[in-house]
Amino acid sequence: MKSILSPRVRIVLLAAALLLFPILFSGAFARDIGVAFLLAAISASAWNIVGGYAGQVSVGHSMFFGVGAYTPLLFYHLWGLPPVAGVPAGMLVSLCLAVAIGMPTFRLQGHYFSMATIAVAELIRIFVGTWDLVGAAIGLQGPAVGRAWWDLTFRSELPYYYIFLAVLAVVLYTTFEVERSRFGYYLRAIKAGERAARSLGVPVRATKLKALMLSAVFTSVAGSLYSIKTGFIDPESGFGILVSVQMVIVAALGGAGTLFGPLIGALLLVPLQTATNTWFGGGGSGLTYILYGGIIVLLARYEPGGMHEWWQRVAPRLMRRSHAA
Amino acid sequence: MLLSAQNISKAFGSFLAVRGADLAVAEGEIIGLIGPNGAGKSTFFNCLVGDTVPTTGRVLFDGIDVTRSSAEAHARAGIGRTFQVPATFEDMTVLENVMVGAFLRHHHRGAARETALRIVEMTGLARQSGQRARSLGTPGRKRLEIARVLATGPRLMLLDEALAGLTPSELQQAIALVRRIHELGITLVIVEHIMEVIMTLAERVLVFNQGHVIAHGKPREIVANEAVIEAYLGRGHRRRRETP
Repeated sequence: MKSILSPRVRIVLLAAALLLFPILFSGAFARDIGVAFLLAAISASAWNIVGGYAGQVSVGHSMFFGVGAYTPLLFYHLWGLPPVAGVPAGMLVSLCLAVAIGMPTFRLQGHYFSMATIAVAELIRIFVGTWDLVGAAIGLQGPAVGRAWWDLTFRSELPYYYIFLAVLAVVLYTTFEVERSRFGYYLRAIKAGERAARSLGVPVRATKLKALMLSAVFTSVAGSLYSIKTGFIDPESGFGILVSVQMVIVAALGGAGTLFGPLIGALLLVPLQTATNTWFGGGGSGLTYILYGGIIVLLARYEPGGMHEWWQRVAPRLMRRSHAA
Repeated sequence: MLLSAQNISKAFGSFLAVRGADLAVAEGEIIGLIGPNGAGKSTFFNCLVGDTVPTTGRVLFDGIDVTRSSAEAHARAGIGRTFQVPATFEDMTVLENVMVGAFLRHHHRGAARETALRIVEMTGLARQSGQRARSLGTPGRKRLEIARVLATGPRLMLLDEALAGLTPSELQQAIALVRRIHELGITLVIVEHIMEVIMTLAERVLVFNQGHVIAHGKPREIVANEAVIEAYLGRGHRRRRETP
């Protein structure tokens, strides 16, 4: 049964909603949630390329996020350059890191690959925490007051919102193109069965590596956006395991391996996180772990395909019921 | 010879699964590979398709040594294979499964889709082309595997019990499909337990037992071969036949 709204109409409505959100909700709190939602959606969409489509569940993507977050502030800290100048450098370093990590770890499969990514990310976090050049455990700060517009230090959330939205659009469009291409078909085939994919001539390791490189570059951009906006980064907020776990949970909650799954996941998780932080304040520290753990258990038990798959199953029933009524 | 496997042996620790097996397949032939369970035919098959590297011996495809080539390289060279337990991409549709195969020769989506559509039509899967592979039954999945391999444009197809578990009518349809594939000029090596399939399709048969090739010849010669009868039915059967 077909939906009333064609995919094109749905995309236009979604774009309109995202564009109009900060205008309709002009309060600082609402806009702050909007920016957090976009950042979570960008990170999870980036993770989705390798974790969702190719089924290579990396739980160490914080290494790329951290590199992307540190490089802009390092450029400012060392040479006084506008942080934005460090974004391409972060992308390049993440790309090289993806190659260095992917070559050995893609010999591993399933849980072993996931564990290897956690180990590498944790090693990098510990290393950065003791490296004086990057501020060791204290971290780095960006410009407190913008010297010019290119420092991207705005008082209002509004410019950040639209910059983040533009980046999200680029990530989603790239994912859309990947999904339709030979590369995208190969990723899905690898996820379904590497041995069978190989027998059809799919270059499994090279395809996984390409996916990791693309994913790493976008994750790095997400990290850069985060540090440029907050003007601060330390080992925990850049390379901490929660950063990786959040990407995995947002994508899995919405629907890993689907274009809009990470958006749905971010839409559900970010307000929930904000609400728990607001209700429990400082007394709720550690609650994030409980929230994430609870979501993992519920997803694994009831809906491994995420909300996207749940909706695809439920929507036709609802349509039939409404037609019958 | 299109495919030539010479003196293939494969050891797993101290256990020798295949012992000095030879196979020569001419272009356009249909060869049957049979043997009781555990005879070593699957290991030999895996050596031919690049899934396993033999301990000794070599495999030549069209004169090129592919013994140590990867499974991807085998596919690129024109060697296609199916799996004993169908390994279809469950969450992808039938057409998408076939497109993965078609992408080997066509880099653009449109061309791959066109090839895939032609092949799902030929293999009788056109009506299910929009369904997810997981919704198909075993016969449909086996057919889909054959379609997927066909889409890679192979010169040689190795079918690993692709016709097992089918009802008599499904079996006849499957035999007709294999004949159509052969008419396209594709050489076939069929591993099969069902003698009807071997007797109907194969031009030559190799019989495996305990890692050795114990017989080799035309299907009619093979079914009358004493060593084959003994391997399948045991020595007791031979004694019973000899005792009046």
